[in-house]
Amino acid sequence: MTRRQKRPFVVFGFETTHDALAAEAVLKAADLRVVPIPAPPVLGALCGIAMRIPPESAGRARDLLAAADLDPVTRAEIEDF
Amino acid sequence: MTPEDLERAAGDSAVGGVSAYFDHAATSWPKPTGVVDAVVRALTVGGGSPGRAAHRLGLEASREIYAARTACAAFLGARRSKDIIFTRGCTESCNLMLKGLLRAGDRVVVSSMEHNSVARPLAVLARLGVEVVRVAAHENGTMDPASIEAALSAPTRAVVCQHVSNVTGTIQPIAEITRIAHNAGAVVLVDGAQAAGHLDVDLSQLGVDAYAVSGHKGMLGPQGIGLLYLNPELEVDGLLEGGTGGGSETVEMPSSRPDRYEPGTPNTPGILGLGAAVAFLGGEGAAQRDQEQLLTQHLHEGILDIGGYRVSGPAPGSPRGPVVSVVPDSGTPPELAAWLDREHGIACRAGLHCAPWAHETMGTRDTGTCRFGLGYGLTETHVDMLLDALRVYRS
Repeated sequence: MTRRQKRPFVVFGFETTHDALAAEAVLKAADLRVVPIPAPPVLGALCGIAMRIPPESAGRARDLLAAADLDPVTRAEIEDF
Repeated sequence: MTPEDLERAAGDSAVGGVSAYFDHAATSWPKPTGVVDAVVRALTVGGGSPGRAAHRLGLEASREIYAARTACAAFLGARRSKDIIFTRGCTESCNLMLKGLLRAGDRVVVSSMEHNSVARPLAVLARLGVEVVRVAAHENGTMDPASIEAALSAPTRAVVCQHVSNVTGTIQPIAEITRIAHNAGAVVLVDGAQAAGHLDVDLSQLGVDAYAVSGHKGMLGPQGIGLLYLNPELEVDGLLEGGTGGGSETVEMPSSRPDRYEPGTPNTPGILGLGAAVAFLGGEGAAQRDQEQLLTQHLHEGILDIGGYRVSGPAPGSPRGPVVSVVPDSGTPPELAAWLDREHGIACRAGLHCAPWAHETMGTRDTGTCRFGLGYGLTETHVDMLLDALRVYRS
């Protein structure tokens, strides 16, 4: 089995799962490659669901979420598989 | 489900030959096939814990709940789905909106037609120092907005009124009451247990501040699920604290909806069943609501033609929810209900229906009534069966 390389991503954290899933729906509708992941400690919360996106999509994602009144409460850059 | 399936379901009760089910005001039966399928799926295929883990089973459960909440909001005319709070039922919803809002020294105006899911929490709040002002409805069960306005002469925190009476089917003028209450600076809290699913409820038009919904009556979902709509501007305290799947590093509850009011693992099968019920009501079930109105009028007029029964509530032809309550001239409501079940396999309910205030208003406090609640699955054949039986009982 080949060990995969980590790559950079941007993660958005939300106060509720409801908001996180609403964000997922908005970003998926715009064909962005969004993946729900367990919220990483760097977001300041040790549980919950965060949304991971490629860094090149971060700006557009932020604009889409703002337009949908879904501003993330936290944002971080991480490396992930 | 075809009409033939419904006829068969209504006639093949697993508990022994119910010919016609007229207890929809208590709980709807049978449920649409899609509701049953959704509950089974939640208990088998998609049984993860929602709002917690990010593995596929947990995420799928979370997404299904999100979809159900969004569907409920759209069905009820709520602008934001996060303002839909899932509860164990309408009783919990009423407790949340009342106990979450009212404090010692507050004054609340309430209709005399309320169910005990409102009357009993208010009794507790009265002992804690809330002033409860009960306003008498007309003897047909209708709240006169002018009576509410007169009761708002003193500063009032809230007006509480049901949307549809569970005893008489009376539809209250909620939009007009809301306008009057807001002009007086009071918020409006509504028990919609008997309205949602039966009437076209549009919260954006009603303008109320809180609206409590039962999931298992007209909404056709499973028992054990309900919801509360909270206006985005209305802040109430939650009834419970606990884990919400996020923000676990603090002992404080999150401030955001819906998590603020939904600690603990949610009732995923119930919520998904309710979501499926809403999909049904918004589709093929829409015709059911029109049919309910026609059948209710047919039953009401048929009982009056037979004679020998006093019918509570609005006059024939007036708008009403799918409830017809009677007191027989001979015998008692419990005797009539038991006879209908024993001799004809017709299910209905006798008594005070957990609404003693309403019976005081109607003058039926000492007898109660025999209540026929109509809903999904009933046909004209069933109503004629009931009318034939009532004709025999009277003879």
